[in-house]
Amino acid sequence: MSKYGRLPLNSWGACRLLTLGCLLGSALAASAGEASSNHFQIHGFLTQAYVKTTDNRFFGDSPDGSFDFREIGVNTSYRFSPELMLSAQLLSRKAGDMYDGSLTVDYAQLDYTFHMSESARYGTLLGRTKNPLGFYNDTRDVAATRPGIFMPQAIYWDRVRNMVLSNDGAQLYADNLHGLHRFNLSFFAGKTPIDENVEKTYLDPMFNASMDQNGLTIGGRLLYEWDGGRIRLALSNAMLELDSQPNLIPPGSIDIDYWVLSAQYNQGPWRLTAEYMEEPINYKGFANILDSVDTTVDGYYIQGDYRFHNDWELLFRYEQSHYDKDDKYGSEISAVTGLPPYNFYSKLWTAGLLWEPTEQLMIRAEFSQVEGVIFLSNLENPIPSERVKDWNLFSLLVSYSF
Amino acid sequence: MTFANRGFFAALLLCLTAPLGAVDLVVNESVPLDTLSRSAVRSIFSMRTTSWPDGKPIQVFVMGDRTELHATFSKEILGVFPHQLRRAWNRQIFTGTGQAPAKVETEREMLDRITNTPGAIGYISEELINEQIRKIAVE
Repeated sequence: MSKYGRLPLNSWGACRLLTLGCLLGSALAASAGEASSNHFQIHGFLTQAYVKTTDNRFFGDSPDGSFDFREIGVNTSYRFSPELMLSAQLLSRKAGDMYDGSLTVDYAQLDYTFHMSESARYGTLLGRTKNPLGFYNDTRDVAATRPGIFMPQAIYWDRVRNMVLSNDGAQLYADNLHGLHRFNLSFFAGKTPIDENVEKTYLDPMFNASMDQNGLTIGGRLLYEWDGGRIRLALSNAMLELDSQPNLIPPGSIDIDYWVLSAQYNQGPWRLTAEYMEEPINYKGFANILDSVDTTVDGYYIQGDYRFHNDWELLFRYEQSHYDKDDKYGSEISAVTGLPPYNFYSKLWTAGLLWEPTEQLMIRAEFSQVEGVIFLSNLENPIPSERVKDWNLFSLLVSYSF
Repeated sequence: MTFANRGFFAALLLCLTAPLGAVDLVVNESVPLDTLSRSAVRSIFSMRTTSWPDGKPIQVFVMGDRTELHATFSKEILGVFPHQLRRAWNRQIFTGTGQAPAKVETEREMLDRITNTPGAIGYISEELINEQIRKIAVE
């Protein structure tokens, strides 16, 4: 399914191998990590979720209760000097019908800092690197750094996760401290993996299109932090072009431009986060048949977290996604396509509870009330007439990291 | 205000501020600094700054998230909660852009490791300061 860094192992093989890797890594880290001077480190995580929905499939056969959401990762890093570090992570991710748990190289990179002082750091990452977009894209598969069981789908779509996840190329970064102000700038360019999830999202599955990237994905993020992260602001962008060979209609290309605006306020046990995403999509070629479906997808979420005890946290989140920012609730596109409007937007209310009984263990429970189905995968819900407008989502997650 | 009253308030003030000074930022004596800005300390304990001004590697030592000393250090010196600091480490550990600090189990171990590791930085209770390690003032 994924053409991207896939190793010849089936998903159970990958799962077992990585679990073994995790256990070994954990033991190694425990025995060596304590006393060594830290040059060589092994870390990892094991995450298993349970997903139950009243209707619609999300991360597997969720109407019957699904355990098909599992993430296992092991990474290693070696610091040659303060300026030079080599690191790599293997990941197996099972996400319903979207990702089958095959073993992938999540990142494999060389980090070289060419200037470091008390207030500045400039350097480059070479290899397969994670794209820093918004607050969470680069750590989206790690439960311990995610803002909930699921990523806010309004910004970080699971159905096209790989499009912006990482790239094979280079990153430049600059980090500057001026008193309480910190500026962090990243710029990246490289080849992006395209998989079936992307192909079946940007063109209707009936076209059975194969896609290849034309040129490079180029993007970056400017992050500003005040007073150690009390206030955080970021602007991120990634641009790419997909060449497409569909059945039924002539070939063409799809221009994608992904923008995210992010803001966060941290005050003691409180955290308030808001992010807004806009993604203009431009269909070129295809004998002009698809010109009328050019659109600007948008979405936002607002999340509040409250640490009410050392180990316990509450979260509330509201999010909205629209297929067309100028036709928010899909009435016009519904008239053109004949599909009910709720296929073109989503509104979600989420309430959740987090418990971290130890430094390594995290348990989450969340409940969402949903209207609309735009963020559901075409791979998981191929028949439009079977999609239900109003539905609920309940999920549990256990994650161990070391 | 009478002298006795002033004495009482001074004592009260001491009581109130004493816990703030109860933890000290300390380094191995090889480290060529006496003071650090709060931002620089945050950057070091967030594992972003990896070398001292002389180019030697920084070795960061911390105690467990749930120890009182670590919680006091995080909140008073860095101004963040232990779980926030852990998330900052996790963001780097799981993107390959940084490493985790070395964890010590006891204050005695912290003292030994800082005394014996060139480039080491950590924290200890005020009363444990000795001649082999150096206290760093945070501006």
